[in-house]
Amino acid sequence: MSLSFLVICLAGLGLYSFFFGRHRIRAISRQSELKQHSQDTYHGSFLLICTTLLPLFILIIWSSFSPLILNAMLRSKLDILAGPLSVGEMGVQLAQAKALYAGIINPAFVGDSVKQAAAYYGELVSMSNTARAVLVLSAAVAGIGYGARLLDVRFRARHRVESFAKWLMILASAIAVLTTIGIILSLIFESLRFFDKVSLSEFLFGLQWSPQIAIREDQAGGSGSFGAVPLFAGTLMITLVAMLVAVPVGLMSAIYLSEYASPRLRNIAKPTIEVLAGIPTVVYGFFAALVLAPLLRNGGNDIGLTVSSESALAAGLVMGIMIIPFISSLSDDVINAVPQNLRDGAAGLGATQSETIRQVVLPAALPGIVSAILLAISRAIGETMIVVMAAGVAANLTANPFESVTTVTVQIVMLLVGDQEFDSVKTLAAFALGLVLFFITLGLNVLALYVVNKYREQYD
Amino acid sequence: MTDVTTPEQLAKAKRAANLAKRYRSERRFRAFGMAAVLTAMGILGFLMTSIVYSSIPAFTHHHLTLDVVVDESRVELMVDDNNQTSVDGNWLGLVRASLRAHFPEVTSRRDKRKLYGLLSIGAGDGLAQMVNDTPSLIGQTVQIDVPLSDDVDLLIKGLIDRTLPEQDRLISDLELSWLDKLTADGLVHRAFAWALFNNGDSREAEMAGLKGAFVGSLLTIFVTLLVSFPLGVLAAIYLQEMAPKNRLTALIEVNTNNLAAVPSIVFGLLGLAVFISFFQMPRSAPLVGGLVLALMTLPTIIIATRASLASVPPSIRQAAMALGASRIQVIMHHVLPLAMPGILTGTIIGLAQAAGETAPLLMIGMMAFIVDTPTDVTAKATVLPAQIYMWANNPERAFVARTSAGIVVLLSFLLTINALAIILRKRFEKRW
Amino acid sequence: MTTTPAKITTRDVTVYYGDAQALHGIDMDIQANQVTALIGPSGCGKSTFLRCINRMNDVIEDCRVGGSISIDGQDIYDGSIDVVELRARVGMVFQKPNPFPKSIYENVAYGPRIHGLAENKSELDHMVETSLRRAGLWQEVSDRLHTSGSGLSGGQQQRLCIARTIAVNPNVVLMDEPCSALDPIATAVIEELIEELRADYTIVIVTHSMQQAARVSQRTAYFHLGNLVEQGDTDSIFTNPANKQTEAYISGKIG
Repeated sequence: MSLSFLVICLAGLGLYSFFFGRHRIRAISRQSELKQHSQDTYHGSFLLICTTLLPLFILIIWSSFSPLILNAMLRSKLDILAGPLSVGEMGVQLAQAKALYAGIINPAFVGDSVKQAAAYYGELVSMSNTARAVLVLSAAVAGIGYGARLLDVRFRARHRVESFAKWLMILASAIAVLTTIGIILSLIFESLRFFDKVSLSEFLFGLQWSPQIAIREDQAGGSGSFGAVPLFAGTLMITLVAMLVAVPVGLMSAIYLSEYASPRLRNIAKPTIEVLAGIPTVVYGFFAALVLAPLLRNGGNDIGLTVSSESALAAGLVMGIMIIPFISSLSDDVINAVPQNLRDGAAGLGATQSETIRQVVLPAALPGIVSAILLAISRAIGETMIVVMAAGVAANLTANPFESVTTVTVQIVMLLVGDQEFDSVKTLAAFALGLVLFFITLGLNVLALYVVNKYREQYD
Repeated sequence: MTDVTTPEQLAKAKRAANLAKRYRSERRFRAFGMAAVLTAMGILGFLMTSIVYSSIPAFTHHHLTLDVVVDESRVELMVDDNNQTSVDGNWLGLVRASLRAHFPEVTSRRDKRKLYGLLSIGAGDGLAQMVNDTPSLIGQTVQIDVPLSDDVDLLIKGLIDRTLPEQDRLISDLELSWLDKLTADGLVHRAFAWALFNNGDSREAEMAGLKGAFVGSLLTIFVTLLVSFPLGVLAAIYLQEMAPKNRLTALIEVNTNNLAAVPSIVFGLLGLAVFISFFQMPRSAPLVGGLVLALMTLPTIIIATRASLASVPPSIRQAAMALGASRIQVIMHHVLPLAMPGILTGTIIGLAQAAGETAPLLMIGMMAFIVDTPTDVTAKATVLPAQIYMWANNPERAFVARTSAGIVVLLSFLLTINALAIILRKRFEKRW
Repeated sequence: MTTTPAKITTRDVTVYYGDAQALHGIDMDIQANQVTALIGPSGCGKSTFLRCINRMNDVIEDCRVGGSISIDGQDIYDGSIDVVELRARVGMVFQKPNPFPKSIYENVAYGPRIHGLAENKSELDHMVETSLRRAGLWQEVSDRLHTSGSGLSGGQQQRLCIARTIAVNPNVVLMDEPCSALDPIATAVIEELIEELRADYTIVIVTHSMQQAARVSQRTAYFHLGNLVEQGDTDSIFTNPANKQTEAYISGKIG
């Protein structure tokens, strides 16, 4: 029984159980003197939950894990049919057998062992589907039977339904935590496998990054160099350029808009600047690579500078533009949170407006601004598309912003894009870089939170 | 009192001198602020203008009007089991033959190939469609507009400079003379580039369209919405309305805020490791892309929903509770409906963010070259931003305009979504 | 004093908000079909006490209630009590009128709906009409039942809230300063209404206005700093208070 048909059957049973439950409680209630505890709808809903909860659970578990199990069984079958196979051959034959079963490839192009395996796989799949359907539907029917026996005038159906809803909500809240755990575990797990092959100190302090060599199979043990220092340096340089753009422009516009600008200008300028935040990063990447980089290169040539067409400068400048609204809206919030009486106090002493801002407002808002900048740095470090499109791929260790550098995120993309074996050192390296990225951004966020909480305004 | 200066006068003179300086600094500071605002707005203007400007050529394309003889000997009418007729033939060959009829002097193989190069590789597609729709055209002569190749198109649009020396230009003098003759005959004309919207991806710039990527984006966003909206709203309700204030809920809250700041590419790594590598879900599928984006959007929705729930005044909750509504009834009957506009606005903004996201989707292979329009969430697909990324990597000149046009379409799409959110907020927003 | 058993009996009721004690051992007997007024200076715990009677304090974090409160001899803090059912029996009207942002009809119909009191639409219509009539609002709103309840004046809104409360058919109605947000005319209307409702409901009212307590109530309890200082028939409390503090408050010396 196919998945969609099974889901439709289950939905039908669920619907039936809902109306059945409502109908049944009405019948029971008519013959009883007692006041009914819960309304009819709750009895119906209770029965609906009884009918669908367990089957849905079975369905999800079965559908998630049966491909894994079937795959393993197919693998062992192929081992028997075709004798010992290398990892690569096994992969090819597995894919062929599945494709043959799905009818995507012509049987004429595959070997006998694959044909047999495909037939075997077909049997497995149909067996698995039948078992799934039997299990799911019988659980649903059993659910109706169990639930219907509980229905009674004094049965607290509303309590049951509501506590179910509550558990559903708790489960949903847990997803956010599970996502974090999933990120940490998958990054750490893959990184540990990477550090089996490349030492941690080489990764963190090595000056040479050239992962390309490692995929060549004749180089046993994969002797590509995985020294990530050039990546860190490149990331840092681009982030620095970005901050040099974003902090002055973002902060000054926030100050001007909240302290000086007329309401009219403010109403136009604020949303306009925030549009910058809504532009997808791939657009910035395009802008950096195809508009700004040629401009910089030609401009550099005119004044006798050699600017690489994938310079750190172009990527950094555009990233800075992307971050402007981030800094300006966060600073705007903290500047507005500074109480008016502080400004009045300074003005009353005869300070000019700019003196008030520089000597009173900004120091009061400083923790918030610092935290905004930290968050902006975290965002710049994690930004991917701009650097993938506008920064380089080659890992140069340089302090010259006109040269091409590469970043952590660029390398993650380069290592993972394209078809390759999932377990190679190259792909594992991407996870190690991801781990570094995750912890650095996490650290910056926590630090930003700490700065705000520790030095938050003492005035109220 | 000519020489005598009292301390008061001295102080006054000092203040006056100082004041001028202070006012200068005040003006300077103000000017910096103004400059910053103008810079930010100017950059936005420059960015938008440059992209829209460079996209303009992609929205039109030059076509050649040809009289094509649908030669019976070169097409084949087929009837399948269901009595459906279809016509197969060398359409491009027919179109090319008709072009050659204009230039009988071209005979050498090399020149013929050059001549045919004026036309797009997809020049026969329109004819195929036409004859398949009306098989009675077989044996007749039909007038049809066929697309020119991208380089020829650029030349006519003036984007390739025809005054350059021949070796620096993509179009040779010979080709140029043919083109001039066709133009003089009034056979070349400009039309709206429907291919941009009706076609899937292609290696040929003039044939490449956004339809596949657009449908891929819709499917992906659909999955994202389906997963992240219920999960986010349920989680937010629990955290805001029901959870006891303890360490665990504080942890969940901190965690949610941190998750919102995790770089998107890390979510891509998660998707690769968990969905593709562990659960063996298909690569490049909207299902996986949607799941990854859903996890990424979840914190946004949770945070927006909580803020929206918190803005519903407690008096409403008390009133309902005092009438004997249970906690869940209070939420479902009163609080949630009142918070819904805010929740929907937050969700739409989160989805717009997800729709513009590229990096995590690259990790799970949603940047493959896919011609066909995906039909379901497990089919191979790409999304608009990834399509833009792929086109941007294409060195051909005509793809620059194509990419810009893709960006214009993406931005219009996002603008529509965001406008929806703004309208929703304006229409239903309730102030307490 | 009456000889009928009290409708509501409280024994040694204490309330803590965290570490702060808000009520100290309150013993009270509240009679059926009477209006009992709770008076006292701000922060004396009278509202807190009122909220104990329908367990509205349950939702406040770190609020603990000790002692026992029974209605018709049944302990309402007993584990077997369904708080939802309790609140259907013990309705509450709040200080600020808080109609739902729905139509007038929906406001009144909400309670009967969730408790499944009406079998069909006409029965529900009937309940809505009766409740609005009893609250003295029918004349004013019968032609605009389906307009928003928040479009009414403050006094009308408060009567709508009363209509909404009695639509559930409770036997106790708690009122937490129901007139404090209203003008004198609207207040007089509500006071009249309270007098009428007394025939069918046991009413407990918290009020800041001594005149109001004197006008509407049969019994009065004076709270001070979380203690129940004095309780008794309203007449005797106002004319001849036994306690110095009560006397000082009533005569306007403190409060």
